[in-house]
Amino acid sequence: MDFGLRANTTTSSWTGFLLALPLLLFLAAAVVWPIGHLAARALTTEGGAALRQVLAAGRYRTALVNSLALSAAAALASLLLSLGPAWVLARERFRGRDLLRTAISLPLTFSGVLVGFLMVVLLGRIGALPKAIGFLTGREALAGAAYTFAGLFVAYLYFEVPRAVVTLESAFRRLPRELDAAARTLGAGPVERLVKVMLPVAAPALRSTLAVTFSASMGSFGVALILSRRFTVAPLEIYTEMTGFLNDDVAGALCLLLALATLAVDRLLAVRRR
Amino acid sequence: MIRKLSLVLAISSIAAFAAAQEKVVIQYDCIPNYANWGGVTALYKQLTGVTVPPDPKGSSVAMAALEKEKEAPQADTAYYSGAIGFQAAGKGLHEPYKPKGWEKIPAALKDPNGLWWTVHTSAIAFVVNTRALGGAPVPRSWQDLLKPVYKGKIAYDDPTWGGTSYTLVYGLNELMGGNETHFKPGIAYLKRLDANVSSYPRESIYNGVLRGEVPIWINADGNGYKMKYVDGAPVEVVIPSEGTFTMPLVMGLVKGAPHKAEAKRYLDWLLTPPAQAEFAKAYFLPVVPGTLPKEIASRLLPEKEYKRARALDLAKMAAAADALKKAWVDEIRGSGR
Repeated sequence: MDFGLRANTTTSSWTGFLLALPLLLFLAAAVVWPIGHLAARALTTEGGAALRQVLAAGRYRTALVNSLALSAAAALASLLLSLGPAWVLARERFRGRDLLRTAISLPLTFSGVLVGFLMVVLLGRIGALPKAIGFLTGREALAGAAYTFAGLFVAYLYFEVPRAVVTLESAFRRLPRELDAAARTLGAGPVERLVKVMLPVAAPALRSTLAVTFSASMGSFGVALILSRRFTVAPLEIYTEMTGFLNDDVAGALCLLLALATLAVDRLLAVRRR
Repeated sequence: MIRKLSLVLAISSIAAFAAAQEKVVIQYDCIPNYANWGGVTALYKQLTGVTVPPDPKGSSVAMAALEKEKEAPQADTAYYSGAIGFQAAGKGLHEPYKPKGWEKIPAALKDPNGLWWTVHTSAIAFVVNTRALGGAPVPRSWQDLLKPVYKGKIAYDDPTWGGTSYTLVYGLNELMGGNETHFKPGIAYLKRLDANVSSYPRESIYNGVLRGEVPIWINADGNGYKMKYVDGAPVEVVIPSEGTFTMPLVMGLVKGAPHKAEAKRYLDWLLTPPAQAEFAKAYFLPVVPGTLPKEIASRLLPEKEYKRARALDLAKMAAAADALKKAWVDEIRGSGR
């Protein structure tokens, strides 16, 4: 009996390993090898010098700090903005729910460059919004906002909010309905139930939503490529170093630090989950 | 017999397929809206059946890609603004080739060994969408551009992306009194201009200018003429009163080109009158004398305007490229806040 169970476990873990093998090989080729390559490069004289150059005060470090700040802000804001819609989608039944869900997740299919152009059309110098404001109030406002930090931030929200809604909705769906029902029986209103019961239970899901949106923002490139005028982010500097200056060492060092920073924040959010 | 026939058919169709596959020339920096590459490559396809697919890289990016692929080249040829092509040749990314019609290219516009040669020339100008100016007058000089009335209305490409803009930045520095090692005068001017600049694009904003998103684009004059005469946009091309710079646009045969024979035929053809006239449709001036169509010539600004356009030394420009681009990134694009 005991033997049988053990044998069984071994078989299934082997099957699991075999099933996971293609993904493991892919990860080795697409993640471990490049990061290892970059890390090994950072240990060489040139690589080390580039790393120090990136970490010293200046454009590169600013870009990394900007990336961290913008991604954290976008992750937090998109979490707050998506709580309500995700809750409604997960818990309420109403006509047009599927349509609403589709509409919300549509931006996920757009590439960053496309989102950038969308912002230009919306908030550019002759954007639709400035024109509309001008028509209504007689005085144009927000013209060219697309190229400012605010424009960049809104563009990030544009693709992070759907991501957060999708992640949160499925988490909210898995929450035990009995808890909600019990709280209701005890006389808690909808807001109280959300804040005092559901959110604490959903805390791990909130943290993983933050991790997902944060990582996506850290790696995002196309939006900043189109919109960034002065505010720079790490992926943009990597592009400039690679294409404008053929400076592989600095580009590699930036890549490595960007990846490590993203992993560190994700780990932090995951550790607190326990 | 039938089996034999079908075998022959099969083999010949495979061969035909392979041949059809081979009929391609890869050109880095082949932007359809720039210098009418779209029209030129379409005409070549029509005449020969050979496809030259569009490619969105600017000069600098094209050179970077060639450098990365040095061991296993993917491209057959590349197109650059002069200094970047000169630099790419200097890096050993090209192999010598003298296309047919070589002797017709003026000596200053080609490498004596055939590492690069000019296909057409252009001049830096203000491309002004007059309807988008919002009542402001058309700027006539570099000093005009600094006026507050143009705030948010000017754009020029990021010089680390495109060679046209590198030509602009280098030329301006010379015009303002700098030289290939002394960038302060140019950077000082561009810093003041920065107050009026809405963006430093790293993609073609040709359509943005047409729509009026960008009222003033400092770029190749040919792009402005094309907007005016081909797209019918309310665009005026201005040669600034203090002077401007000419820009040879050059090509070279990539070392180890995968479709070398086909690429040579294509490069030969680009210097023939029909190809040169096709470039001229985008108002980039043919390098081969006598191929500029009359109706195009009559639409250009009068010759006296172009007297103010000076030629730049490609060798000095190439030598200064990295340092000047870095100075621009540090001082103009800013420390990134």
